[in-house]
Amino acid sequence: MTARLFKGAEYLVTEVTKDDVFTPEDFTDEQRQIGETTTQFVLNEVAPHHEEMENHNFDVVVQLMKRCGELGLLMIDTPEKYGGLDLDKATSMLVAEKIAPAGSFSVTYSAHTGIGTLPLVYYGTMEQKEKYLSKIISGEWVAAYCLTEPDSGSDALGAKATAVLSADKKYYLLNGTKQFITNGAFATLYTIFAKVDKEHFTAFLVERNTEGLSVGAEEKKLGIRGTSTTQIILENAKVPVENLLGKIGKGHKIAFNVLNIGRFKLGAGVTGAAKHSLGDAIKYAVERKQFGVPIASFGAIKEKIADMTAEIYAAESLVYRLAGMIDNKLATIAQDTPNYYETYQKGIEEYAIECAIAKVFCSEVLADVVDEVVQIYGGYGFVQGYPAERYYRDERINRIFEGTNEINRLLIPGTILARAMKDELPLKSEAKKAFKELTSSSSEGSKAAGPFAAEKTLLANLKKIFLVLTWGSVKKHMTGIKNEQEILMAVAEIAINTFAIESAVLRAEKIMPGLSKAKKESVSAAVKVFTFNAAEQTATAARKAAYFIEKGGSLAELLSGIGRFTTYDATGLLQAKRQLADAAIEAEKYIF
Amino acid sequence: MKILVCIKQVPDMASRFKVNGDGTWYDETDLAFRMNEYDEYAVEQAVQLKEQQGSTPDITVLSIGPDRVGEMIKKAMAMGCDRGVHIQDKDSFRKDPWQIASAIAGFARDKKFDLIFFGMQSQDRGSGQVGAMVAEILGIACATTVVGFAFADGVVTAKRELEGGIRAVVKLKLPALITCQLGLNTPRYPTLPNIMKAKKKELLALPIADFLKEKELVATASAYPPAKKGTGLVLEGDVNDMVGKLVGILKEKTKVVK
Ligand SMILES: Cc1cc2nc3c(=O)[nH]c(=O)nc-3n(C[C@H](O)[C@H](O)[C@H](O)COP(=O)(O)OP(=O)(O)OC[C@H]3O[C@@H](n4cnc5c(N)ncnc54)[C@H](O)[C@@H]3O)c2cc1C
Ligand SMILES: Cc1cc2nc3c(=O)[nH]c(=O)nc-3n(C[C@H](O)[C@H](O)[C@H](O)COP(=O)(O)OP(=O)(O)OC[C@H]3O[C@@H](n4cnc5c(N)ncnc54)[C@H](O)[C@@H]3O)c2cc1C
Repeated sequence: MTARLFKGAEYLVTEVTKDDVFTPEDFTDEQRQIGETTTQFVLNEVAPHHEEMENHNFDVVVQLMKRCGELGLLMIDTPEKYGGLDLDKATSMLVAEKIAPAGSFSVTYSAHTGIGTLPLVYYGTMEQKEKYLSKIISGEWVAAYCLTEPDSGSDALGAKATAVLSADKKYYLLNGTKQFITNGAFATLYTIFAKVDKEHFTAFLVERNTEGLSVGAEEKKLGIRGTSTTQIILENAKVPVENLLGKIGKGHKIAFNVLNIGRFKLGAGVTGAAKHSLGDAIKYAVERKQFGVPIASFGAIKEKIADMTAEIYAAESLVYRLAGMIDNKLATIAQDTPNYYETYQKGIEEYAIECAIAKVFCSEVLADVVDEVVQIYGGYGFVQGYPAERYYRDERINRIFEGTNEINRLLIPGTILARAMKDELPLKSEAKKAFKELTSSSSEGSKAAGPFAAEKTLLANLKKIFLVLTWGSVKKHMTGIKNEQEILMAVAEIAINTFAIESAVLRAEKIMPGLSKAKKESVSAAVKVFTFNAAEQTATAARKAAYFIEKGGSLAELLSGIGRFTTYDATGLLQAKRQLADAAIEAEKYIF
Repeated sequence: MKILVCIKQVPDMASRFKVNGDGTWYDETDLAFRMNEYDEYAVEQAVQLKEQQGSTPDITVLSIGPDRVGEMIKKAMAMGCDRGVHIQDKDSFRKDPWQIASAIAGFARDKKFDLIFFGMQSQDRGSGQVGAMVAEILGIACATTVVGFAFADGVVTAKRELEGGIRAVVKLKLPALITCQLGLNTPRYPTLPNIMKAKKKELLALPIADFLKEKELVATASAYPPAKKGTGLVLEGDVNDMVGKLVGILKEKTKVVK
């Protein structure tokens, strides 16, 4: 484990070194073994039931959840005191990644172990945990999380569901409708958010057989058709007072804190899905012949394979770096700390920005990947019977749930600015320095040396661009900046890509010494291919933001600075793409 | 009851193999290693026996090889073996079956194991000799290619797979050694709690020099991939053209047509 503790978003105002990042190459034997058990389970026990689950045979799903329980896959994030394993987040992410090839079933699994279980773990009383946790980690009960309503999705706190204490003070009577609830049809424990006295947002643990709770019809969905998504309808649902979760009026904390983990876990899951679908596409490209040769031999296809490999490499580097950051932070909290989970929550919340980055970046990598996977399959990518069509449909939800990618993008500069205002991040002073450099026409910005010097130079300069644009927009709009979403979206892009490039580069630098010559070449190639693509995108976002913020002479100055500071020397790019593609084609899978 | 299970780590068989520098084995660079498939049957059978016997048997799992085999030994312990022995040998791939068997027998000789399980062969070398040789050196009963196993009243009843689809049932008094074949059982994958528990189990590391006193009897002279078969060629189009092309090819590539 690495030891340097970072503040959230601190990477934008400091230099991070290779020794500060956790990488998948740092996994222990036990973690690798846990990953392998997960893979074997998916391959041998889930995959054969795929069709049945897609056709809504939910008995199979419930049965497989029990099997997950037997294997211990449901107890990773739960405390030992209640029969769990309390493993670190890196392990939890690894399992999320390895279960992803199970498609729909992985969403059932994630909803259960994430948003379904964690509110109880973090906020439940001893009695509540004793009553429910053992059933949840054995898979005997399936859990669901009910926040969304027909009229409040992104605006979750606008929920209308109500809770009123009964005359005998023994029950809360819940009324309202919850929308799009994953595991709705077969869950046995629902964490439901409702407003006590129409005002105080509060969470409740509600059992399935509660009088007044009913399950709506199954939604007909674009993708993840093997999951259950239903309304949960509450008509004077009688919830015993002892099932109130946490404190009255503190439901928003519960709702949002578990979303941080959920977003980060989604990042790991989609990375696993991307690896899996890329593997299928490469195998197909090797088999499929046109013009007398495998389509994998065409440069146009190779470039796709190289780009996808590089993007997934970056996503993977990013997710596990974040796992390491969070694990380091959580490791500083002693188990016997009073209010352990409160401190624990704060530890995770510190990285709310990075969790949002992981969610957005990785889900969009998967989106790019499934699109190109369909393209490689040609006409066979468009029809059922080959897997590409389903990968394409299943991907789409990831950019919508756990906070839409817009909400998550906005959260990035929003939270950074809020922290800067509280002096938790030296944004203003750093931005001023950066502004001087960026607008001095002779300056090319930072010059890094040593391994990956070109990438490190770029990174230092991208950070300066972020600071200048973010601070510049605040100076112009002051608190009104929150209404300038176009600008916020553009600077979010810079923050996201900077974190991704940095994760890819530092992982490469860290693992390089232990690699074979061939692997060294592949890793260097992946870094080059990814950095080039990401630098180009970042430059576009930065220019866009400049046009949004400035005009006239100041704009010209800014644009010229952005030009200089986003320059990346990608000499050898074509060879790098071919090298990477050839290695992936030889292995017929994702190679890192 | 004391049980020994001997396991070997082999490359993932889906790998692309290349011959190594001195041309006597495959190049290990960038290969992923895992437990030999037949050895998984051996571990599973030992663990099932332990479960049937109410947990009294004590299972030692042993492997010879470089540092990387530690991960596989831990897996066997996560499957249910009680303790691990890693006989350290960076060059185990250079040892012939006689040397490997001698080293294992050297370890096992004074330990009074009642039952020893092996895989029937390794997926990479495939000599199928080591288990039988260990039985011979230790002077104990041995049954190979076992596809069915039962134990009662101190007697092992093993079903063996013979050529031509015939089965034979043999009975062995303890101490005994069996080598396991595909079909014997379905190896479990370890549960997460057991993976974490295995971390606390004893894993002894001992140098190969403590056990190996024998010289090799069989030396590998060379290892190489078989010559590639030529790919077929399909002629298409007008029959007259095809005949012309065919004659041309026969003239050029063979001595059939002069
Ligand atoms: C298959 C599926 C499973 C789900 N599972 C669950 C579950 O288990 N539990 C649960 O509680 N919920 C669940 N959801 C709900 C999901 O979290 C919401 O759909 C999501 O939060 C978006 O809310 P919405 O659909 O109401 O869209 P809206 O909030 O109406 O958003 C519509 C569009 O407007 C944009 N938008 C909204 N507000 C803003 C803003 N302030 N600024 C800029 N753009 C904005 C959004 O980004 C989006 O593009 C699930 C949804 C689906 C489809
Ligand atoms: C819904 C649907 C309707 C259709 N309707 C008709 C119809 O009415 N009539 C009809 O005749 N056909 C029809 N088609 C077939 C369609 O035109 C083909 O699917 C299309 O031409 C691609 O061929 P393919 O699917 O065999 O893919 P492939 O040719 O196998 O292509 C697979 C991938 O390899 C790439 N590739 C192939 N060759 C090269 C090369 N030389 N260099 C670089 N890349 C290469 C492709 O761009 C693609 O990405 C239809 C297909 C679909 C899915």
